[in-house]
Amino acid sequence: MSDNELVNQQFPVKVEQPGGSGNIFARVFDELTAFCRSRSLFILHYCTGCGAIELPPAMTSRFDMERLGISPMVSPRQADILLITGYVSVKTLKRVILTYEQMGSPKYVIGICSCTVNGGMYWQSYATAKKLNDYMPVDLYIAGCMPRPEAVITGLRQLMENIRRGEANGWQDYYQRYDHYLGHQQRLFGETWQTPTDVIAEAKHYGLFSNETLGEHTKLLQQHQKPLEALEMRLGLDSKDKVEP
Amino acid sequence: MHWAELIAELVLMPLVAFIVGLFMVLMMRKIAAKLQRRVGPPVLQPLYDIVKLFGKKTQTSHGLLHDFGIVMAVGGYVAAETLLPVPGMNGIAEKGGMITLLYLTMIPSLGLALGVGQCANPNGSIGISRALTAMLAYDIPFVIVIAGVAMHFGTTNLVDVVAQQQAGGFESWGAVQMPLLALAGLFALQGMLGKQPFEIYVAPAEIATGPMVEMGGKFLGGLFVMQCFQLYTASVLYVTLFLGGGENWITFLAKSFAVLVVPMSLAFLFPRYRTEDMLAMLWKWPVILGLIGLVFVTN
Ligand code: SF4
Repeated sequence: MSDNELVNQQFPVKVEQPGGSGNIFARVFDELTAFCRSRSLFILHYCTGCGAIELPPAMTSRFDMERLGISPMVSPRQADILLITGYVSVKTLKRVILTYEQMGSPKYVIGICSCTVNGGMYWQSYATAKKLNDYMPVDLYIAGCMPRPEAVITGLRQLMENIRRGEANGWQDYYQRYDHYLGHQQRLFGETWQTPTDVIAEAKHYGLFSNETLGEHTKLLQQHQKPLEALEMRLGLDSKDKVEP
Repeated sequence: MHWAELIAELVLMPLVAFIVGLFMVLMMRKIAAKLQRRVGPPVLQPLYDIVKLFGKKTQTSHGLLHDFGIVMAVGGYVAAETLLPVPGMNGIAEKGGMITLLYLTMIPSLGLALGVGQCANPNGSIGISRALTAMLAYDIPFVIVIAGVAMHFGTTNLVDVVAQQQAGGFESWGAVQMPLLALAGLFALQGMLGKQPFEIYVAPAEIATGPMVEMGGKFLGGLFVMQCFQLYTASVLYVTLFLGGGENWITFLAKSFAVLVVPMSLAFLFPRYRTEDMLAMLWKWPVILGLIGLVFVTN
């Protein structure tokens, strides 16, 4: 028995499969949920790169995303898709990961533009994160510099189709192979990198804990991880914060 | 009334309200789309959204009050539906009346305030403080309107109000008898539904949808359900007070949908007001209109 199987026995990996259960009503219900999930997508657009400029035409009267049930949302808690439009710098990537971890599962990531695929024209830049799917599970790439709204819509339709068939499972990968993603994150942000979200506990909660959830990188995380503290609230400026005239 | 019939009505009335409310949400989104020269969402889109939100795997709760706030928000409206007479069903409308209804429509905002308070998100707190200020703004003209209607018909019983209007025909409709109060009511409706220019507590670009900012999954689903009820309650109340209620389901639905077209179409003509401007506007114009309207009220 390989290591992998051994751990899988200890921590059974529950992967949702539409139509997998024997109960006919449960299956109908699963199919209905999968269908509704695919037909109602709230996007959170993290528009930092130049590719973002193709989203307004895709949303407004020319192409009208709402026909497909896709509407923009403004808070990660409400969103299903994280849309990353273009290059992400190292600084931005931290925020992108924070945002991604706050979204409710099932969640999907779409990388728009060549820059998210391989760095695009920023290939040799020191400040740009080149391959987005090293740091978070990308369900779909829409390549192009920049992709036209038709391409964006086609990509979204492809994602809808994948969701309906139960194939867009990138978010499960994030929990199952957290160590892998965390390793890449630590490579960029340093060893003390931590997010407020307890991904490992969440993985256990979903039953997605696997032998690659923990590893050398999560060990490093656990060494320095501090529990989240409430921000201190103060009125007025302390003497040390006072701005010198 | 037989008790079994009453129970059936108490279950049916919120259910009907929810289904009609789904179509009202659809109409709202379709009107928005048409005004922006888009096609708009498919017919079942509001339902897809709600099923998807309840089917989410992560339900981030910030504590007991957060859960409870949503229950209050939806529950307040569910209770309000049983007080609104619709064709063939009166529920407990005869026992409640306008004053109880007025109280029940405030519960959702208060519930939301409780729930959002526990999220401890600054955007949510700003949103909810704006929502309560907005309530302060539209409730003054709203109460004047309710008082005027009650004085005119000599009762606070909604079933009586509908019966009197239907007995006298079109000339005895509230809107014909008290046009100024009806106009003030439309003002208050715009504020109550939180439509532009009074959209201060949603404000997606500025406070990230305010009270909704920390809501995902079933919490947001609950708010979507609440929105259906909210549109239904506001329009049916207006129809009951001013447009003669419903003789049958066809005219009733036609009237309720027609009432909502006004705030929804106006919404896209205006930008958003600031909170204090909203207060000034709602306390000035509809209140003046309502007070003048009160002078002309006779019974
Ligand atoms: S792929 Fe091209 S358009 Fe897209 S972000 Fe990179 S440089 Fe900009």
